[in-house]
Amino acid sequence: MSLDLKPKKWAGALREVTLGAGTRRPVSVGGGNGLPLHAFEAAFPYRPALALEITDVDPVRWVESVRQPWEGVLGQPAEAARRAVTDFGADLLLVHLTGTHADRGNRSPEQAAADVRAVLEAVDVPLIVKGPGAGQKQNAVLARVAEDCRGEGLALHSATNEDYKTLAAVAVAYGHVLVGESPIDVNIAKQLNILLADTNVDLNRALIDPLTGGLGYGLEYSYSVMERIRLAALGGDAMLNCPVVCLVGEETWKAKEARVSADKEPLWGSQRERGIHWEVSTAMTLIEAGAEVVVMRHPEALKRIRKQLDSWFGSDRSHDREGVVRSSFRPTETSGGDSCR
Amino acid sequence: MPLTGLQIFKLLPNTNCKKCGYPTCLTFAMKLAAGKETLEKCPDATPEAKAALGAASAPPIRGVTIGRGERAITVGEETVFFRHEKTFVRHPGLFQIFDPTGLTPAERDAKLDHWRGIHIERAGETFRVDGIAIVETAESVAAVAAAERGFPVAILAATLPGATAVAERIKDHRPLLVPPAGANLEGYCALAARLGIPLVVGAPDLASLADAARDAARAGVADILLEPPGADPRSLHHSLSAIRRGALDRIHPGLGHPVFLRVGAGEIERAVLGITKFASLVALADCGGEAWLPLWTLRQNIYTDPQKPLQMDPGLYAIGEPNDRSPLLVTSNFSLTYFIVSTEAEASGTACHLAVVDAEGLSVLTAWSAGKFSGDRVAKALRQMKAADRVSHHTVIIPGYVPVISGELEDALGDGWHVLVGPQEASDIAPFFRDVWGPLARDFETHP
Repeated sequence: MSLDLKPKKWAGALREVTLGAGTRRPVSVGGGNGLPLHAFEAAFPYRPALALEITDVDPVRWVESVRQPWEGVLGQPAEAARRAVTDFGADLLLVHLTGTHADRGNRSPEQAAADVRAVLEAVDVPLIVKGPGAGQKQNAVLARVAEDCRGEGLALHSATNEDYKTLAAVAVAYGHVLVGESPIDVNIAKQLNILLADTNVDLNRALIDPLTGGLGYGLEYSYSVMERIRLAALGGDAMLNCPVVCLVGEETWKAKEARVSADKEPLWGSQRERGIHWEVSTAMTLIEAGAEVVVMRHPEALKRIRKQLDSWFGSDRSHDREGVVRSSFRPTETSGGDSCR
Repeated sequence: MPLTGLQIFKLLPNTNCKKCGYPTCLTFAMKLAAGKETLEKCPDATPEAKAALGAASAPPIRGVTIGRGERAITVGEETVFFRHEKTFVRHPGLFQIFDPTGLTPAERDAKLDHWRGIHIERAGETFRVDGIAIVETAESVAAVAAAERGFPVAILAATLPGATAVAERIKDHRPLLVPPAGANLEGYCALAARLGIPLVVGAPDLASLADAARDAARAGVADILLEPPGADPRSLHHSLSAIRRGALDRIHPGLGHPVFLRVGAGEIERAVLGITKFASLVALADCGGEAWLPLWTLRQNIYTDPQKPLQMDPGLYAIGEPNDRSPLLVTSNFSLTYFIVSTEAEASGTACHLAVVDAEGLSVLTAWSAGKFSGDRVAKALRQMKAADRVSHHTVIIPGYVPVISGELEDALGDGWHVLVGPQEASDIAPFFRDVWGPLARDFETHP
């Protein structure tokens, strides 16, 4: 008896968004026309992109096992960027300007822009630039960065429902991509994109950050919200079909289960291994739910996720003429066509 | 496929006799179609009608129970592809793969006792090793030892005669029989059918897997699990997705069974794929909390009912090692709220008491508007927790979203209690401790 497994076809597809321009070697994401990783029935022109997070100042709250691979370069963004790209193989970077926060150094917008420029000079991959968090300072910092790094196609992280106009304006004016952040809520994600579109942001230059709940800390909410966003996009909703970015590293390493040593919790096993497993499990789960840009912290976790993705997209990471990282996966013409028939 | 009301109606006697309690056969048929009634209420239903309805109303994925007694585990009975459509119902069993080769009986028993003793409490659930998947060895005593400890046992067979010997000895414990990859299933089917125990069937591709499961059922095996093809992540993901979809669409009777997945040492990602994508029993070679804790936690997340948010047990939780001068925070028992508040409080480096109030699993603001986070209610909860005995300063910090309950709470607490309005966002707890609580605490020290 043969199996009649009909491939699912959808009306819509994700937008293709290209990160990086100017002196950057661009990376495109999105464009898929099926459920995440459903390569047996849908086409995915690009593989999910893997980013590493680097910081402007020494991230004192990072646990020792995450600091270790970055030893000697923490708080030196250009050096950290080189190591992330050359040694750890990141497709792109998230520069977290945590030192601009009033409680963590209160660095000025000028200093922040200088940090980002230093990273741009050190490496040629696209950058996501994350400010100190919602508020006036965030706008001042990111606006200055956007202006000083015009034409580099940075992804500015992030605009929110309550405060998007400044960042929308500078993203449009200086040729950047804008990340819209919504609190694990499909409706707000959509509303924000409508607002951004009304402010003349080209949604082909926008990403959705639906807010990541790490493993054990709301992962199930992120998972289901992202599945629903993908279903809406595939159903043809042009306000929800931007690729999704997930800040996996930041959320993972907040969890006490990733941080506490085995001395304190003997049943939990080795903290070093457990923490990496925690980040890998969070990342893999969210990629299954539709993450297209995954920002990680531990290089070992990134390496393991890359190896998983190679199974779907091939291990060929060579760059084509335009310098776009393309997957070696090409959709087959046969419908659902493998051993099932 | 489930039958429609009209299809069912055609199978009913159409006498409108009302013996089922409904005025007409059509009404009854509609109730049957909606799954709100059973055909047993119709005394005149023909055997053909019963057969047709029985096949159509069976759950798309059968339930299978492994083991007996308190630790017995039932898996399957799932009805959706996406958890947000309804919920996933039977969380997958996580079994420890155990190869007793070369161990003395004492070493073997020590391992089994260790696994049996593992209990990790997290958000209202107890994580434990759900069962033991025993690699078949020349003697069957390890399987017996595991079964006698109450563990559900999966027999990872090497040979049919060997597996038969083990299965015979523990058949009353309802073990799961797992033939070796690529084995001829006929002998194993006969064994499982004879002993009445569940069987795993595997095949190199999905079509032969479905056929093998159908054949096993025909050979008299009542309870079947499917071992999906897929050595690499991409083909495993395909198999798992296709089996679930095929089962829900009822395209082949052989697909309507729970899924069994073997995970080798160091293959956490494979287990993650299994837990998120519909596997019902995962046998793990890795042991140790560093591998198990993330997987238990992932299972807890994915199998939480989306319509019934995870709730924390109300009570006074210690963040760090607080004493009677540490701050006392109060929040709702919505798990996400608790997780965010506790994580930020912990990151602040200031030990504190966190009072989790029963707000029926709602977030603070929602709970307040529903009357579940009123001053009276919070005061009552704090009294029940005996918060007054835990902090000498008698000051409680409430979420910044509900300053409105301050007065009522202060009145209800009485006895010189103070209410301090905390930050709206958990991320501001650290600066709040530093800038607001810090000076206040120093004040307490100088003017007790």
